[in-house]
Amino acid sequence: MALSCHGALKELRADVKLSVALAGNPNVGKSSIFNRLTGLGVATANYPGKTVEVQLAVTRFGNQRIGVIDLPGTYALGGVSEDQWVARQALLDGAPDAVILVLDATNLARNLYLGLQVLDLGIPLVVALNVVDQAEARGIRIDAERLAEILGSPVIPTVATRGSGLDTVMAEVVRRTSHPTPLRVRLRYSEDVEAVIGKLERALTARRDRPHGLPPRAVAILLLEGDPEFTAWLADAPDADDLRRLREDLTETLRDLRGEDPALLLTRERHGLAGIIASEVEYRRRRRILLADRLWQFTTAPATGLPLLALALAGIFAFLFVVGDWLSVGFGALWTAYASPAIRWPFVTVLGDNALSRALLWGFDAGINAALAIGIPYVLTFYFLLALLEDTGYMNAVAFLTDRVMHKMGLHGRAVIPLVAAAGCNVPAILGTRVLGTMRERIIASTLIVLTPCSARTAVILGAVSATAGWPWALAVYGVTALVALGTGIGLDRFLPGSGTGLVMEMFPFRRPMLLPMVKRTWTHFREFVVVAAPIVVGGSIVLGGLYETGLLWALAAPLRPIMEGWLGIPAVAGLTLIVAVLRKELALQLLVTLAIAQYGPQASNLLSFMQPNQIVVYAIVNTLYVPCVATLSILARELGWRRASLISTFTVVLALLVGGAARGILSLYH
Amino acid sequence: MMDALEPIVTDEILEDCLQAVQRSADQGRAATAADVTAFAHIPAPTAEAALRELRARGLLESGSDGLALSDEGRRQAAAVIRRHRLSERLLTDVLGLPWDRVHDEAMRLEHSLTPEAEARLTSLLNNPDTCPHGSPIPGSDGIEAQPTRSLDTIPAGAQVRIEQVTEEEAALLRYLASLGLLPKARLMVEEVAPFGGPLLVRVGGARYAIGRDVAAKILVRGDAEPEPRRRRQRRHGR
Repeated sequence: MALSCHGALKELRADVKLSVALAGNPNVGKSSIFNRLTGLGVATANYPGKTVEVQLAVTRFGNQRIGVIDLPGTYALGGVSEDQWVARQALLDGAPDAVILVLDATNLARNLYLGLQVLDLGIPLVVALNVVDQAEARGIRIDAERLAEILGSPVIPTVATRGSGLDTVMAEVVRRTSHPTPLRVRLRYSEDVEAVIGKLERALTARRDRPHGLPPRAVAILLLEGDPEFTAWLADAPDADDLRRLREDLTETLRDLRGEDPALLLTRERHGLAGIIASEVEYRRRRRILLADRLWQFTTAPATGLPLLALALAGIFAFLFVVGDWLSVGFGALWTAYASPAIRWPFVTVLGDNALSRALLWGFDAGINAALAIGIPYVLTFYFLLALLEDTGYMNAVAFLTDRVMHKMGLHGRAVIPLVAAAGCNVPAILGTRVLGTMRERIIASTLIVLTPCSARTAVILGAVSATAGWPWALAVYGVTALVALGTGIGLDRFLPGSGTGLVMEMFPFRRPMLLPMVKRTWTHFREFVVVAAPIVVGGSIVLGGLYETGLLWALAAPLRPIMEGWLGIPAVAGLTLIVAVLRKELALQLLVTLAIAQYGPQASNLLSFMQPNQIVVYAIVNTLYVPCVATLSILARELGWRRASLISTFTVVLALLVGGAARGILSLYH
Repeated sequence: MMDALEPIVTDEILEDCLQAVQRSADQGRAATAADVTAFAHIPAPTAEAALRELRARGLLESGSDGLALSDEGRRQAAAVIRRHRLSERLLTDVLGLPWDRVHDEAMRLEHSLTPEAEARLTSLLNNPDTCPHGSPIPGSDGIEAQPTRSLDTIPAGAQVRIEQVTEEEAALLRYLASLGLLPKARLMVEEVAPFGGPLLVRVGGARYAIGRDVAAKILVRGDAEPEPRRRRQRRHGR
């Protein structure tokens, strides 16, 4: 379970004497460094209402225990985007003794911007100058000593994927923090700007109540930038009338200086300074374009990008289906052979073979089997593929190419990957919507995911429709589903308040993915899935098992009759299975056969003996569209809250009934 | 010894040289010394001396393929071009000279207008947008002549400078700024995805994908973007 960030940071500070935060732009190898520094004992913490996570771990270096706070990868610290806000807040709340700034040696100027912000906060830096090997390959050499001199902070060239340089980084962290020296660096912005900062800084020196105990210069800069938190502090601070007036005057002075917003001015100053520093320490031998970079351009060029994307998506699809299915079958066989008898034995011996023991076995045998049978083949596989796409940087090319279509549904390109994953299993797909920036986008994407037939629903479509009415009808069910999803997306974009955020995303050069971090990330996500989904699937299974074993389930059939028989035109017993299938969608088909045999006798094992092909089509459509399974539902609730989860679920029920009813009407014209 | 004599370089000549370099840039190519000689009607040694002087004042930089103005040089050039085109308007609109003859007259007038006279002229002419030949008149703040366009209309391969991010989008402005996409930043449009897809732009060492809707809120000015229609009209203007 994710922890509250504020509390978790406080605990970490109480637990260790020395803590360090990892900061850096996205995709600079920060997570490789975090993975190298820490083991599997990583905690994840959230700020309420925020989806961007902060990771916390304790590592050992020499005889010291050091807390490591992994900030989200950001370009800046600030309030304009969720990642920036979380990074800034965690840095202030965590109050680390130092920040390890991970810089991308191939793009120094833009990377330094974040470092200047950290220095502005008055937190000591230890710079890990990462991917020096890639910079070297591109003809860029960086004078680390000179950079260290300018920044007043140690700069250690690293190659995080190989772990080289990281020991030196940690040694510097310990050295710097065990003999704390006041920051000597005085990186200067333009003189006139510094004069304004200096005035406010001097006025703030006397105040002991500076937020987070920040140095006066840091508070002065934040106030001039109009930071909401610090502005609020100043507004409520006692005996601060003079300070408030001074701040207002100085903000105006700053505005008059260049005729632009002070926050923008300081941003410009920082970019300018970062550029100057970079040009001081960067030597480009010659402009060398790597073959890999040139090939990588094909992923975004219009003529080659789209075919490559189609190929990649087909590959993901095939991989999920082939490898997922193979794992699923293998796992099922192993479970039946070994786990199932082992679990059965104690229940049957203690309780005997009765309704109670059988109901419990619904949960502890079939339920656990179900959770793992989704989790291992589909969740594990999907997360591994996702890690591969992200670590190579291909994910961003996908987002670039699909942005247009997604935009019609109020999403942007990054949403395409979770949607593809949904065809395997909705659960990891919904977790995958975390890559989307806003709650609005996550709601739209999650709704679309819920409407996407996962492998379990595909099993019903293939097993029922294709086997009885023929494959064109199975294809028609997919077609209807796709249209319904598209319509829903467009409708939601119109209906939901707000608008899409639009795409602004860095495009990365190709990076060779490293196996270990990918495996670790995959494992973290899988563990999360099992922890959340398993108890719900097991509990739900026991309840359903109880209803089934006691025969109470049949009592539910009567109230369903008007809807199932009257509106959808399918037998009430089929409707019953639709409800049971909330547990696992492919159960619908298995139970349909089981219940039909109980009601109509053995010949009912052939669906056509009691249902028309068009009834089966309607049945499959409804099963595909209505309420996600409990595992999906619980993830939905966890990620979006119960209110939104139940709204989405209700919506899908209504949608399924409407589309099912319409399908019945249309089909009755043909049969 | 004639060689040792330095040609006399007046302020007028310097202003003409600035203008010559900027006009070439407006047409999408870097100026050469020959362009300057032809535009200002001065002998080559004088032009060379003038360019040396402009360099010494930090107004001129050597571009990779010819002459290029510094930011300050561009600002000053825009001011001269503004006075030149306002003078042309005065000559056509008030004095009634035919528009194909006003350029050379304006070449003299542009150097003698004081800021006060310029301001009066602006209000007398009702703050015109273009010269009689249709070329835009730079603003009095010295911003270059080309009108701004939104980034989503820029074709692949063009180099532009961000002028402004639509005011009502303060959060977007700040986010873009943190990425280095801030006013005055130069960017190169590398790729434009088909069917209204996003743009791929390069800023410094970084590449960004920017959705069309976001790009529509970013106003840019071509750094060196040829536009056939305007180029022909300018030629008339000489």
